[in-house]
Amino acid sequence: MVEHTLHSISLFYPEIIIVVTLCVIIIADLVVKKKNHTAGWILMGGFGLAGITVLLQAGRNESVFYDMVAVDPFALFFKVLLLLSGIFIVFFSVNSDELKAYKSRIGEYYMLLAGMMLGMLLMVGSTNLLLMYLAFEVTSISSYVLVGFIKKSLRSSESSMKYIIYGAVSSGVMLYGISLLIGITGATDIYGINAALLAGVDQPLILNISILMIIVGLGFKITVVPFHFWAPDVYEGAPMTIAAILAVASKIAAFGMLIRFFSVSFINAEGISAAGVWQIFDALHWDLLLGAMAAMAMIVGNLTALMQDNIKRMLAYSSIAHAGYLLMGVVILTEQGISSILIYLFIYLFMNLGAFYVAMLFSNKVNTESIEAYKGLGHRAPLEGVAMTIFLVSLTGLPPTGGFIAKLYIFGAAISAGWIWLVAIAGITTVISLFYYIRVVRNMYFFEPETGAKRLHFTFGSKIILLLMLIPTLLLGVYFTPLLEFAQSSIKILGLN
Amino acid sequence: MDILLNITIYLPLLAIAAVILVRTDQAVKWVSLAATSVTFFLSLLLIFNFDTANSHILQFVTEGPEIIPGYDIKYLVGLDGLNLLLFMLTTLFGPIAILSSWNSVTKHLKGYYSMLLLLQTASLGVFAALDLIVFYVFFELSLIPMYFLIGIWGGAERIMATIKFFIYTLAGSLIMLVALIYLGFHAGGVHAEYIFTADWRFISSPEYQIGLVEQTYMFLAFALAFCIKVPLFPFHTWLPHAHTEAPTAGSVILAAIMLKMGTYGLVRVCMPVFPNAFMEFASWFAILAIIGIIYGALVAMVQKDVKKLVAYSSVSHLGFVVLGIFALNTVAVQGAVIQMINHGLSTGALFLLVGMIYDRRHTRMIKDFGGIAKVVPVFAVFFLITTLASIGLPGLNGFIGEFLILTGAFFSELYDNSIYAVLSALGVILAAVYMLWMYERVMLGSITNDENKKMKDLNFREIGLLVPLVLFMVWIGIRSEDFTRYSEVWVDNFIDVTETKSVAVLKEAQKDDLPGWTAAFYNLDEESDELEVELVQIQGGLK
Amino acid sequence: MIGIDWYLALSAVLFIIGVIGVLIRRNAIVILMCVELMLNSVNISLIAFASHHGDITGQVLVFFVLAVAAAEAVIGLAIILAIFRNNLSIDITKVNLLRW
Repeated sequence: MVEHTLHSISLFYPEIIIVVTLCVIIIADLVVKKKNHTAGWILMGGFGLAGITVLLQAGRNESVFYDMVAVDPFALFFKVLLLLSGIFIVFFSVNSDELKAYKSRIGEYYMLLAGMMLGMLLMVGSTNLLLMYLAFEVTSISSYVLVGFIKKSLRSSESSMKYIIYGAVSSGVMLYGISLLIGITGATDIYGINAALLAGVDQPLILNISILMIIVGLGFKITVVPFHFWAPDVYEGAPMTIAAILAVASKIAAFGMLIRFFSVSFINAEGISAAGVWQIFDALHWDLLLGAMAAMAMIVGNLTALMQDNIKRMLAYSSIAHAGYLLMGVVILTEQGISSILIYLFIYLFMNLGAFYVAMLFSNKVNTESIEAYKGLGHRAPLEGVAMTIFLVSLTGLPPTGGFIAKLYIFGAAISAGWIWLVAIAGITTVISLFYYIRVVRNMYFFEPETGAKRLHFTFGSKIILLLMLIPTLLLGVYFTPLLEFAQSSIKILGLN
Repeated sequence: MDILLNITIYLPLLAIAAVILVRTDQAVKWVSLAATSVTFFLSLLLIFNFDTANSHILQFVTEGPEIIPGYDIKYLVGLDGLNLLLFMLTTLFGPIAILSSWNSVTKHLKGYYSMLLLLQTASLGVFAALDLIVFYVFFELSLIPMYFLIGIWGGAERIMATIKFFIYTLAGSLIMLVALIYLGFHAGGVHAEYIFTADWRFISSPEYQIGLVEQTYMFLAFALAFCIKVPLFPFHTWLPHAHTEAPTAGSVILAAIMLKMGTYGLVRVCMPVFPNAFMEFASWFAILAIIGIIYGALVAMVQKDVKKLVAYSSVSHLGFVVLGIFALNTVAVQGAVIQMINHGLSTGALFLLVGMIYDRRHTRMIKDFGGIAKVVPVFAVFFLITTLASIGLPGLNGFIGEFLILTGAFFSELYDNSIYAVLSALGVILAAVYMLWMYERVMLGSITNDENKKMKDLNFREIGLLVPLVLFMVWIGIRSEDFTRYSEVWVDNFIDVTETKSVAVLKEAQKDDLPGWTAAFYNLDEESDELEVELVQIQGGLK
Repeated sequence: MIGIDWYLALSAVLFIIGVIGVLIRRNAIVILMCVELMLNSVNISLIAFASHHGDITGQVLVFFVLAVAAAEAVIGLAIILAIFRNNLSIDITKVNLLRW
């Protein structure tokens, strides 16, 4: 028993490092007098170190702490993504003017960021409903505070309140679903649930209700229609950095949890090839239900985004639409489908963070988030304008950017699984999405800057960070074989076909 | 030799780096000019080394490794009889586009020339790519620089024009993407090694056949995308806007090269890959083409803006190309291929000329001119030659293409009636009417507007731009065989392939249980030997 | 002996009351209380199931849920306080800067 625990701890270093970093930040916040993003650099170090320990776990496939947490290639892929986005977010925060006004409290900000990261790392690794719920809540509670971090702004507080109400309700619904699932299967870890389900449960109605309730909670986190209402308000009110992490990292974590939950609990290892993964409980057409949710997310997200003027709100609706595209992979739930989600998430990380970053740089300089106010900015900030264009083109899914590869893959997977109507909707909504993405580009370039408007100057460091997101976005559009192999090897353990 | 093709394609792209790095505006221009000129000369090396007798086989092939294991998606470029001349046309228009904007573009020079160079690489890539996914990548990539060229350096209503342009073409090409992925998996199902293949050589080969139902859907998706690009009536509404608002170089490239991507795609993909659907739908598309020819000509006639007139004449001229392609016999397809080049040369030159007078007078309205032939005689000569070439005067290039297309259409078995050829011949007459009438109102008569008296004639740069184009117009007009020989073997071979494939698919289809509409549409009720007799007749009639 | 059904029914009723409360009440503090009600109804069902299965895990989960509920309440109240300072009201219909 001691041996198992010790062994488990040795595989738990990434999470432990994050916790230690969190403590160090609290202490440093007390000790260091001159508060100037010291905590940020500490957090960056912590993320980096955790990232190294995660990479050292490559090839491991074990279950630690008595089937609580899985340390496997699947979790590794998501942890790499999460830590990568965490590092970017710290970079963003250091460059953010919005946060400068809160220098005295910035330690708390980074501490909460560390807490959020801890929750997300656990979300993608947990194989037990108890830990899943806890990780989910750790992520949520930290992000509630972060969204309301700008205390003096009513917008920030308002969005935080909306977030906590939506979040608490949906996690409560999910928890109820979890309790029902535990009740009818008598197990808390997903392998046990799988075994119980395979043996057959005598309460199919309650089982279906419980799964629906769990989908509510997860749907809230991945912002899929109809659980998306919080996202635009929260993104708009939250600091830009937090909007970015909610749009990227917390979505990545929720997808990790969703995929693991569905593909482990509901798999029928023997009958998998015959009738698809969803056959284990056929009272409802789950694939159709999720497919409808995906379609709704694409339609609602893209259509509503057309009407937005605030760049953060626009990106919020666009992230709802992207959740729809991503959910297509879950609908299929084949190896191809899941690996296309992983690829999509990886590319999405760079392009979406990039778009948020440029929006943040612009709002630092011209102090506005309105797309109308972007007129002529492309001429005043050449590199940033070009970068924004490329990120938005990539978000649309046009070649030769990474976004095209992501869409190509997920469309390909869906077509080969026979979901032509879903792909048709995805294709049409992609055209619609072009309208609002290109509107930003149009405003940046097709209008001359006002007379007397000076060229915007950004620091060298901020340009380097920009390139760190720009180069992968472009590179993944032409060369992506390693990413593909990484994604495919990561999902082998799920045992899909 | 193989690396040469890649250098030709990517040299303009590399030149963008140089354009960004150099400091003065003059240097930007010279770097771009040098890069595109070198591209042109390199492409001359390609055409001299081209093996005409084997033009149905890809040459100068570069084949990359497959990007995804099990998926036959790879970098694949090469030239054959179909794309060689279009490739040459693109490289020719590279330096011309740069030179034409030498003095007329003054703002954001670096961005402008970068976009022109990017467009050059993208267009060359579209024509050279033979893996359909790579083709699609270049196809979409070409939209982006054109979007910026119109949007930043365009006219007053440029924003509306860019939106129309982008949405139309993107909507078409996304439908194509869905069909393309489907086609890839379908072809992968036949292919021995892969589960997905986008290699055109395999897809177009006789061993790969598609069932009638799938063929219909995929053909319609591909054809829609290409017809929007062409643009075929009724998808043409984006074109006049985009043309009028684009800067001169933008319209030139748009007319001379980007519109050809549509017709090229029809020949490259739709013809050999979906033979049955292609044949059955031929008369439908021919009707659209004829409507386009006549409608385009009539609308051109009433235009007040010279540039818009030329834009509508494009709709009309490209109707001929589509008509030729769907006639599916050697003569007509050959004519369509050469007419693509002709249209590129003459309409490109017309847009250049319109740009030149616009630079001088900042107006393009016909009523603002009149009698300027006396003031600018050199200009008048070039304008006359180009106008006549565009009309299709014997001895100039337009005649060859239109003559071949009309002859082919007249004898085509796919058009059940010679009325197709007769009606489209009407388009030739209308073309003479609106072009000559425009020429008369702009150039001849007495000078009505005093401002026109001070107009300067063409300078050496402008003459230098036009001379090669006029030279080619005359050359094609007099010795067309110098140009048609490149595609002869290709056209023969692939019309054969298309026909054999269609027979095989029909034979196969009679065994299967297909939905009712397919049977009716493809006339499956006929006895199979009867069918064969009929097809032998078709083949005999064509040669 | 009261059967498990009764506990579950109670839990379901409490849960539904909580959900309805969240949906129709306007006072932010009352909404938070309703959320607490939802979480506690889950606790009842967890305990009932745990004793039904004779398994301790469900009971353990209850402790965690209690802790989470407390944390949520704390954060929620803090945010309501922040809003009250800016807006002098905790009626959520009056907090409407962000829409569409």
